[in-house]
Amino acid sequence: MSPADSINGLSFPTVAEAAFSAKPSEIEREVIELFEQFRDPLLRYALSLGIPVHDAEEVIQEVFLSLFRHLQLRRSRKNLRGWIFRVAHNLALKQLFANQRSQAKTISDWTIAQEPFDPSPGPEEQLSSAQRRHRLLAVVHALPEADQGCLRLRAEGLRYREIAAVLGMSLGAVSISLTRSLARLIRADGR
Amino acid sequence: MLSKDLHLSNVHLSDQEMLLAADGELSTSRAAEVHAHLAACWGCRARMAEIEATIADFARAHRQTLDPQLPPIAGPRALLRARLAESTSKPEVNSWRWLPHFTSATRAAAMLCASFFIAAVVGRILVNHSSLRGTNSIGAAFERGALPDGRLTPGATRRVTISDVCSMAHEEVVGEVSTSLRHEVFREYGIASAHPDDYEVDYLIAPGLGGAEDIHNLWPEPYTSRTWNAHVKDALEERLHEMVCGGELDLSTAQRDIATDWIAAYKKYFHTDRPLVLHSRLESVNVLGVGRVYSAPRQAD
Repeated sequence: MSPADSINGLSFPTVAEAAFSAKPSEIEREVIELFEQFRDPLLRYALSLGIPVHDAEEVIQEVFLSLFRHLQLRRSRKNLRGWIFRVAHNLALKQLFANQRSQAKTISDWTIAQEPFDPSPGPEEQLSSAQRRHRLLAVVHALPEADQGCLRLRAEGLRYREIAAVLGMSLGAVSISLTRSLARLIRADGR
Repeated sequence: MLSKDLHLSNVHLSDQEMLLAADGELSTSRAAEVHAHLAACWGCRARMAEIEATIADFARAHRQTLDPQLPPIAGPRALLRARLAESTSKPEVNSWRWLPHFTSATRAAAMLCASFFIAAVVGRILVNHSSLRGTNSIGAAFERGALPDGRLTPGATRRVTISDVCSMAHEEVVGEVSTSLRHEVFREYGIASAHPDDYEVDYLIAPGLGGAEDIHNLWPEPYTSRTWNAHVKDALEERLHEMVCGGELDLSTAQRDIATDWIAAYKKYFHTDRPLVLHSRLESVNVLGVGRVYSAPRQAD
């Protein structure tokens, strides 16, 4: 499967057609710079969706190969961060569904038991901190998937309009979703 | 909703409005109104503090849970670079697609030039072929010796730590093979009379991965291998070095994989069944006779 073919609703000309429309070396450099900037946030987001690290890395490779073609074709550069996250979201979901078909969910990203403790606080503070984190993440995990997506994308620094574009929601729906999720988190934390 | 003089009244801000303000999603004028209200209203300020504290807690939990799982970026970045380079080189194969844009006369001229070019390439290959001793086909000549004889060259390592291996860039860890040892390797492989320019005495396990200067770790690698050649192996060594130093791969696994079958290891770590164009294209240039782009082979004298 070619990366370009795998993006829902997008159809890219072949590389041969694209190669004569831009200078590849400049675009390669730009793509690598964007990779360095967004790889970690994208990887966190893909992992939080429940994809194993190896698959998530491969998804991100596909994202940036698609971005390379996108830029070669001189398509819109407006809000590239939103574009990158949208493609990552689509590919990650596709990978997730493929994994779920073939095996039981094995992700441990929200498994607190495997988390390393921060060495700086004392044992009691560590326990308290881990418990609070566990409680917060348990609440997040129980949220509707769209609400979880809004929270995680916001945690990665996306603006509301970018979240709306990634998840295919309206701006108002993103705002309501985040407000609802935060209210639940505040209640669960006993504030 | 917030009226202009709301900050002076007892009507409080909604959570949604406060979150929009905290996230910088309000218009400038509305944000000013909200801030004015917050300045006057302790209740809303306390609620705003709760919202912001919860945001901070969630963001911290999100990172603390996921960040330890993130592998170092070096390996994936190298892989992406290789894939991008491969993508950019593909059009060379299919570049005839732009011919229809030309006039028929131009196209005919281009086709004629292409014919001469292809004839020149084939001629060059045949010349190269005739200079190779003991081979009956071009393919066999190119691929002969790409893998060492496992009985003669099983691989050998020296005692090193990860910090030894990673303290220098892979390309900086170059081990020169002594003349006497090179002679011994050629003799062992029964090609002592071979033209020295046809071979490089190469390490099976690279020094940068802890390989030893030992006859069991050296073999005569032919320059004439077109597909699986020394440059492709160099790319694998660099990749393994990056992975080992990035904590993605055990040094012993890297050594074992490259010693067992370096071509299989290349396929495994680059997720491909053939060398990436980036890694083998220099050899193509060399075959065309444009110029030797390899580092000068070591003399077998």
